[in-house]
Amino acid sequence: MFCEESINEYGLPVFRMSFYLARYRDYFMNTTVKPSTLSSSAATVRSSTDLWNALPDAVRSVVLRLLVLGFLCFVLSLASDAFLTATNIVNVLRQAALLFLLASGVTLVVLTAGLDLSVGANVALSACLAATLLKSTGSIALTVSVGLGCGLLIGIVNGLLVAVVRIPPFIATYGMLWILHGITYWFMNGETIHGFPPAFRALGSGYYWGIPVPVFFMLIFLLAGVLFAQRTRWGQEIYAVGANPEAARLSGVPVKNRLILVYAVSGAMAGLASLIFLARLNSAEGDIGESLTLPAIAAVLIGGASLFGGVGSVFGTLIGALMLTLVLNGMNLLNIDASWQPVVTGVIVVLAVFLDKLTRKGDVR
Amino acid sequence: MNKTSKSSMRWAQVAIAVMGMCAAAASIAEGGERVAVFTKNQTNPFFQAVRLGADSAARQLDVKVTHYVPTKPDSIPEQMSQVEDVIIKKPDAIVFTPVDYKAMVPAVAKMNAAKIPVVDVTDRTQGGQFVAFVGASDYELGLETGKYLIQAMGGKGNVVVIEGVKGAITSVDRVRGFNDAAKQAPGIKVIASQPGNYQRLQALQVMENLMQSHPQIDGVFAANDAMASGVIEALEGANRKAQVVGINGSKEAIDAIKDGRLLATGDYNGFAQGCLAVMTAVRDLRKLPIKPEILFPAVVIDKNNYQPWETPVESRSCPTWEDAVKF
Repeated sequence: MFCEESINEYGLPVFRMSFYLARYRDYFMNTTVKPSTLSSSAATVRSSTDLWNALPDAVRSVVLRLLVLGFLCFVLSLASDAFLTATNIVNVLRQAALLFLLASGVTLVVLTAGLDLSVGANVALSACLAATLLKSTGSIALTVSVGLGCGLLIGIVNGLLVAVVRIPPFIATYGMLWILHGITYWFMNGETIHGFPPAFRALGSGYYWGIPVPVFFMLIFLLAGVLFAQRTRWGQEIYAVGANPEAARLSGVPVKNRLILVYAVSGAMAGLASLIFLARLNSAEGDIGESLTLPAIAAVLIGGASLFGGVGSVFGTLIGALMLTLVLNGMNLLNIDASWQPVVTGVIVVLAVFLDKLTRKGDVR
Repeated sequence: MNKTSKSSMRWAQVAIAVMGMCAAAASIAEGGERVAVFTKNQTNPFFQAVRLGADSAARQLDVKVTHYVPTKPDSIPEQMSQVEDVIIKKPDAIVFTPVDYKAMVPAVAKMNAAKIPVVDVTDRTQGGQFVAFVGASDYELGLETGKYLIQAMGGKGNVVVIEGVKGAITSVDRVRGFNDAAKQAPGIKVIASQPGNYQRLQALQVMENLMQSHPQIDGVFAANDAMASGVIEALEGANRKAQVVGINGSKEAIDAIKDGRLLATGDYNGFAQGCLAVMTAVRDLRKLPIKPEILFPAVVIDKNNYQPWETPVESRSCPTWEDAVKF
């Protein structure tokens, strides 16, 4: 499932994310992306602990997160009969889809040591523009292109601000957040747009073979994201930019273009998320994006990405999105008191990342 | 003055009375007072209605209203600095909704110190001196809307409560009101009470989750209309039926009532709150009698009485002072 390039003699997947990086290896002074050295060290591995330590960071990080996710599911299935049922699993996947789509774009940005704080505001503006067009023209093709186009355009502007004007990503996208909120509030004037044609709503609430449409989007973009990041030259260059931009530049990576690319992708994914949101909620209002930004960034970080860049994966982000969705699902199923819900969410988020920290310590040694 | 609205009898009466009042105001030969109006955010249609109500009253009374709205919704520091700016500009009166009923007490103290009369609107600030309070009782709204839901369910069945933002006074009081209504009905079982943070997406997800663990849900009480509409989407997505009520009386809710998807909504009456708050502030300045507390009665809007609420907020007119203070 997750981006293995080959299977080693222990039957475990090996990440070879560095076929490209290796060429520039000498330039990477403090990179945390480690090319796999498994083939050379494998001969000396004896115990399972050695084997675990010999695994590349990225693999260990993903395996560990899968274990945490599995443990969370295990506990929930003991606590509630309703948890481990086909309908609830489909339900959780559908809920995670929106968050994952948004977070997958942010993942690429975070890989370059950047941040996109404007995704939520982007969703709000894209959704409101698309909704207005849908109400006035009824054309689904136009709505979809405006939703995606608005998101993409905002992303490109973010990318230009970061890569060309050289404003730090946090500030550039934070400024963008305010600008987008302002435009959206002015545009909507406190109104709510609601009631869309069923053909459009199928994007968010339809099913194929019993699987909700948003889940298909999630799977498609998971596959695309993993293949792009791990298997393409551009994807590897994004890791290189995040690990050490100066080294990447000296090695001939077009850093500016790659930066613009990741912000553009993040913007376009926000545009896509806005369409799924509209189709699922059947309405749009000015403040829909505010509650989306932080969970999207949290999903990326819980998924193992580092804010310092060069570390993380789109698959990890899927685990992060699933984890956040499961926490809400579990709390609802167990009817946990409203006051305690933020506490539970916080503890689980911190615990999930703490486990990862433990393994990384072992690596620094 | 009221030509765009499909005027019912009530609005015609209102219009005539308002004209009379305008004449009366003109005869006192006052006008041009400056009133600063504070609301919580630009996103909630409710506060948009409050602002439009304030504007409508301002036109009738010939005063100048300036709106102060935090650009970040419900931002405490932003409203605090707006209050400080306004005190320097020294308007004749302030109409004030605190973004937080506790945190904004010091801001009110500053207005008091500057000797600017303040009318509290919508949310009751926990401290400070006010000329008057104008608002609706969230508790009564929760109670009455809850009673309506329970009656529609025939007094028995499983109910789910979708709460607003935990700690927000509106949510606390609305849910308390509903729970008191539920206590009086022995056949009603509240099977879950979960937070939706006044957000439609979260309400949708919470409802989807609750449907997994509860095969039988007969009624849903949502603490605002946006969450009620999220709940309806969740129910329809799962092909399940339940009676749903919301609170606020928003345009969206009225449309849903017309379509038979929403059972009812409690009217929070933002437009009239804005009207009466500005009227109270101006009457106080002009030394006319005022009421220290105007609480709008809880009105439940359903399929039988929704027509007056179909008039877009933009084309409504303020009720007369005399009509408004009768209850």
